[in-house]
Amino acid sequence: MTTRRSRWLASAAALVAMTAFATACGSDDSASGSDDEEITLRVNLFGKFGYADLYKQYEDENPNITIVETAEGDLGAYNTQLQQRIAAGTGAGDIVAIEEGQAVNFLQAADQFVNLQDHGANDLKDQFLPWKFEGATTADGSTTIGLGTDVGGMAMCYRRDLFEEAGLPTDREQVAALWPTWDDYIATGEKYKAAMGDESAFMDSSTNTYNSILMQNAEYTYFDRDDTLVIDSNPAVKDAWDTAVAISDDGLTAKLKAFSPEWNAGFKNGDFATIACPAWMTGYIKDQSGEENAGNWDITTVPGGSGNWGGSWLAVPTQSEHQEEAIELIKFLTSADGQLAAFEAEGNLPSNPTLYDDPALQGATNEYFSDAPVGQIFVEGAAALEPVYLGAQNQPVRDAVENALRSVENGQRSSEEAWDTAVSDAEKAAQS
Amino acid sequence: MTLRDRLARLDIAGAPYLFIAPFFILFGIFGLFPLGYTLWVSLHDWSLLAGDQGFVGLANYSELLGDDYFWNSLLNTFAIFLIATIPQILMALGLAQVLNTSLRAITFWRMGVVLPIVTSVAAVGIIFSMIFARDFGLANWLLSLVGVDPIAWNQERLPSWIAIATMVDWRWTGYNALILLAALQAVPKELYESARLDGAGAVRQWWSITIPMLRPTLVFVVTVATIGGIQLFTEPLLFNPGANAITGGELRQFQTSTMYLVEEAFTGQRFGYASTIAWALFIVIVLVSLINSVIVRRIRSVD
Amino acid sequence: MTIRPDAPPSDPAATSTGRLIPIPHDPELPTPVKRRRRSLRSASPMTYLVLTFVVLISAGPLYYMVVMASRPNSDITSVPPPLTPGGELGTNADRVLNSPDVAFVQALINSFLVSAVATITVVTLSSLAGFAFAKLRFKGRNIFLLAVIGTMMVPVQLALVPLYMLMGWLGLAGSLWSAVLPFLVTGFGVFFMRQYIVTAIPDELIEAARVDGASTLRIFWQVIFPALRPAAAVLGLLTFMERWNDFMWPYLTLSPENPTVQVALQRLSSGYYTDQALVMAGTLLGTIPLVLVFVVFGRQIVSGIMEGGVKA
Repeated sequence: MTTRRSRWLASAAALVAMTAFATACGSDDSASGSDDEEITLRVNLFGKFGYADLYKQYEDENPNITIVETAEGDLGAYNTQLQQRIAAGTGAGDIVAIEEGQAVNFLQAADQFVNLQDHGANDLKDQFLPWKFEGATTADGSTTIGLGTDVGGMAMCYRRDLFEEAGLPTDREQVAALWPTWDDYIATGEKYKAAMGDESAFMDSSTNTYNSILMQNAEYTYFDRDDTLVIDSNPAVKDAWDTAVAISDDGLTAKLKAFSPEWNAGFKNGDFATIACPAWMTGYIKDQSGEENAGNWDITTVPGGSGNWGGSWLAVPTQSEHQEEAIELIKFLTSADGQLAAFEAEGNLPSNPTLYDDPALQGATNEYFSDAPVGQIFVEGAAALEPVYLGAQNQPVRDAVENALRSVENGQRSSEEAWDTAVSDAEKAAQS
Repeated sequence: MTLRDRLARLDIAGAPYLFIAPFFILFGIFGLFPLGYTLWVSLHDWSLLAGDQGFVGLANYSELLGDDYFWNSLLNTFAIFLIATIPQILMALGLAQVLNTSLRAITFWRMGVVLPIVTSVAAVGIIFSMIFARDFGLANWLLSLVGVDPIAWNQERLPSWIAIATMVDWRWTGYNALILLAALQAVPKELYESARLDGAGAVRQWWSITIPMLRPTLVFVVTVATIGGIQLFTEPLLFNPGANAITGGELRQFQTSTMYLVEEAFTGQRFGYASTIAWALFIVIVLVSLINSVIVRRIRSVD
Repeated sequence: MTIRPDAPPSDPAATSTGRLIPIPHDPELPTPVKRRRRSLRSASPMTYLVLTFVVLISAGPLYYMVVMASRPNSDITSVPPPLTPGGELGTNADRVLNSPDVAFVQALINSFLVSAVATITVVTLSSLAGFAFAKLRFKGRNIFLLAVIGTMMVPVQLALVPLYMLMGWLGLAGSLWSAVLPFLVTGFGVFFMRQYIVTAIPDELIEAARVDGASTLRIFWQVIFPALRPAAAVLGLLTFMERWNDFMWPYLTLSPENPTVQVALQRLSSGYYTDQALVMAGTLLGTIPLVLVFVVFGRQIVSGIMEGGVKA
């Protein structure tokens, strides 16, 4: 190619690209200003909320409204993005989902969200579990930034086939009877280990069990209600820690880090026989275990009987230009009918206690999990729940404790060393 | 003085500024503002979501000096940087020499070595964490052939550094080879010919012609590798997928400084402190680059 | 023997005024490329062996992407991992292309536009500035150059929040402009071009043109720019690849309805659960255009590098 021709070509190509680019950028449609103007509501979610049919219904009833949902796959990425958009004051949707672990963070920026108490949220209190409503309300009770969608009622998922191999009962009633308490659960684990040896571990990891125990029997965990760090003085934390350490010292775990590729592979390969599972994890287990394990998994009650892990709220950022319409829509989506529709679509457990007697919920079963009565099991796990207060710096402290626990599990640290590290990390995080 | 002379003089004086203006104007808008803003934030107790909690002067900086995790992250950053960069530059030089020969299917070979930069980061992360997996990874399988016990790559410090350095080198060696190759091509052939006539052998030619002629490009490659190496983020993050990836292992054994920065900003919500880490890193990079240039000058005076 | 590397012997042809208007090659004539090749050392079988090994390692992950994209998700987590492609590629690709959450075709177009615009501006503006830094004398040259290198030293992770706020104030958050504006020029590009020009362009070339009374801009456009082809080709390729694969910034700034490929891929997984096979199929689909760019322009880029130096 000659220099002259190539230069001419390059210029032409540049011109074409620039023109195309300018055209692509210039297609913004602006809203007109009439009374029943066409409005597009943008909904930012993560994962599966099961709202598709609800949107259709709402759009039919409100012809001037169009709903555009974006659902993010990766929760970590979703949280980072939402934080940046709230911090910058632009770019967030008209409605955003706030996940359990982030609620306290966003409550610190409550002024960035519409206070739903100014829009009749107080009249809706009985529509939600009390702790669910409080979870999105500031400490002084004056501001509520979100309405509850689902809760993550706890249960225990287990492998029938491996239990049979180890000579343990497989029927879910009988399995539940094996472990009324965590000590019984450990004792069952010992039996399992004696039968199976190195072939398969009793549970996936100590962190998963640790969190289940901690969230079960505490009013608060690392921070008390005045947001003072109490990691070293709160017996609930130390108890959960000691139990988790005992479990890993006994060699009952497969030492698999949650959400790592090895952990994912473990579901399919039978690396572990039990895992504490909230409602939303049933889909995860099914996807990772594959069709060849259909009927191998089952669900029963968790030791201690209840617990919560996960769940979300819907909020309206003040940066939204359609606040009124967005508030109406979240009321619709979080109503009893809305929550029931979401459960039927995706299995997300409602946070509305009036639904817990509903036959549609009570009678729900899960085919993949040997037709386990998931509705009944998870409702039981959620209804008995007491609220757990999580401090503003809960996330970094939780990360520090989980890291410390894993270092014990991997044999990198002694329990004492790891605990001291966790406490000093927590103190560091609490200072900020 | 004629108008033409005056225009010529104006051209000589003004053109350089005209030529560098686009860069500086664009950088001023999209680079300088974030920098200045970050500096401002670093002087405050600033929560990411709750915003400015008050001016604290240099308190963040003095805290950083006593922060073990920051020093730990710097140690990891430099260790990985050294383990990765030295072999990378040598391999790239060798590869550029190999590519600078008369080959059949020359396009194929030259494009082949740059393939890693086409491969998306997400795929690379998944694949390398599989290669270095403890129980079913390729790396441990190869080691078992020569009688080495399986290594828990992401639980031990040195193995994790080596594994991450491998990821970095896989991605960037071919890229640097291409840059060096372009420079090799620019060395006038007459130099080699006259050297041959003077009876210089291949090694002698390489030392006295190739390396000096490549020096500007080598300076460039080393500088870019340094700047990139100290800002290493994606590879160590992908190396340990799953919960708490940002802490770089249970004992923070491979958490780099930019990972620590992101952890403080988004997990700890400490935007002010994270800005302080950014500026501290900036200063570190400047210092290292100065040391680099001093070393390069020394090499020059040795010749 | 003394060789002063900083003063390469001048090319006698370059001092004639005829150089200002390059004479096009007749394609029928043997090109300089072929002449050049003969002056290179010929390759030994050992060379081919080394290169084969390098290319295999380079292509390994790409191959593995195909393996994962063509299997059901549960295969990927098998122990040991599968090493041969399965038969699910069509199914997985179909799920990507018809996924309601992902405007994949739109994303491809957007990615192409963003990458192409950034590549054009980076190469042009970097050549301009790099030339000034390498060959022109002006007050403050070293300070300005240091500033350019300094711009590369700022850790990018934290510029994200302020940069995003800036886009908000400009009213551009969510538009394609916001994805491309911060990358219209890079310190890396300027530095890269400067280092190349210092080595590759003899001063005599510029002086001869000056004597002929050419303006600086004309010298740049007619003498320098054609000689920069190898470097421009490399820089262009690198810029295009980097923009195409960039994730963090587009993810933060673009609205989900108007994504780039990498942002669209992020949406493929759903729930707390990542369907690796689906993501890999999407990644593969997003990589194919890059490989095409590679194949189409690869030949040109390589011949650009081959023609290196000033004897274009």
